[in-house]
Amino acid sequence: MSNERGFVPLNVDTLSIVPRLDGDTLRVAMSGAVEMRDPGDVLNPYWTLIDEEALRRNLTIVELDVRDLNFMNSSGILTLVRWITRCKSHGLGYRLVLQYDRNVTWQRASIPTLAKLAPNVVVSAGIDG
Amino acid sequence: MITERLTSDYVEMRFGPRWTYISCVRRFVASFFMIGLADKERAEQISMAASELLENAVKYASEEEGYLKISIAKANNEVDVCVKNKAEPHHINTLRRELALIQAGQPEAVYLKKMEEAAMTEGQSRLGLIRILFEAGARLRLDVNDGEVSIHAIFKLEAA
Repeated sequence: MSNERGFVPLNVDTLSIVPRLDGDTLRVAMSGAVEMRDPGDVLNPYWTLIDEEALRRNLTIVELDVRDLNFMNSSGILTLVRWITRCKSHGLGYRLVLQYDRNVTWQRASIPTLAKLAPNVVVSAGIDG
Repeated sequence: MITERLTSDYVEMRFGPRWTYISCVRRFVASFFMIGLADKERAEQISMAASELLENAVKYASEEEGYLKISIAKANNEVDVCVKNKAEPHHINTLRRELALIQAGQPEAVYLKKMEEAAMTEGQSRLGLIRILFEAGARLRLDVNDGEVSIHAIFKLEAA
């Protein structure tokens, strides 16, 4: 399922992203680290593809799981900000759920703040581990 | 607590600021302070600050020379993460404005506003400094001396 148009895995440098379609929910798991100089070069178009495909298929939820991501630099965070900004502009689109590990310092600090950018369409879900 | 023994010790690194070094430095700093402070959260905040400051140095330094010094001052119970590099005057002015702006408001509100602004523009994120201030709870200080910029992220430690 994950190899259908728009939902392809991404492996670049120390980062791996695996999308998996589960009914009308898309689960996107990130692992490794976002520490490249210009993560937007690969992540902006990737998030755009995910976004467009999720809308095309009328998905209700896209879950972005960052629990196995040990670090994300501020340029990486900006790619999520851009994605969230797109979500906000859709009106009736999918809900973006940001899953994070409460025990990882950067995740606990960054992810709930990101969700505040668009509280009507983005929710953060803290999990222990 | 090792901070008792580290009194005014420091970790100092000088290197041509290459991007590939930054993740190594971040991991080293995190491990070092994890052991030294026995405080995982603080160690990760300090290493994140070092990483973000070094990223800025690599992006904006005018010369191939970078310098990182992390001092542990027992008298003040503080850790000072300092990254120093040469910079062009227009970058220094941008940095001064940036710092004044982010220190003027409530950190979370400023962070959210800067995220929204950054999403509307192309180019660099310019979120690193506000991230250090808001997410890591550090105090920021800028020193400029003869074209050399020193950015400090200063962390208050728990009293031993």
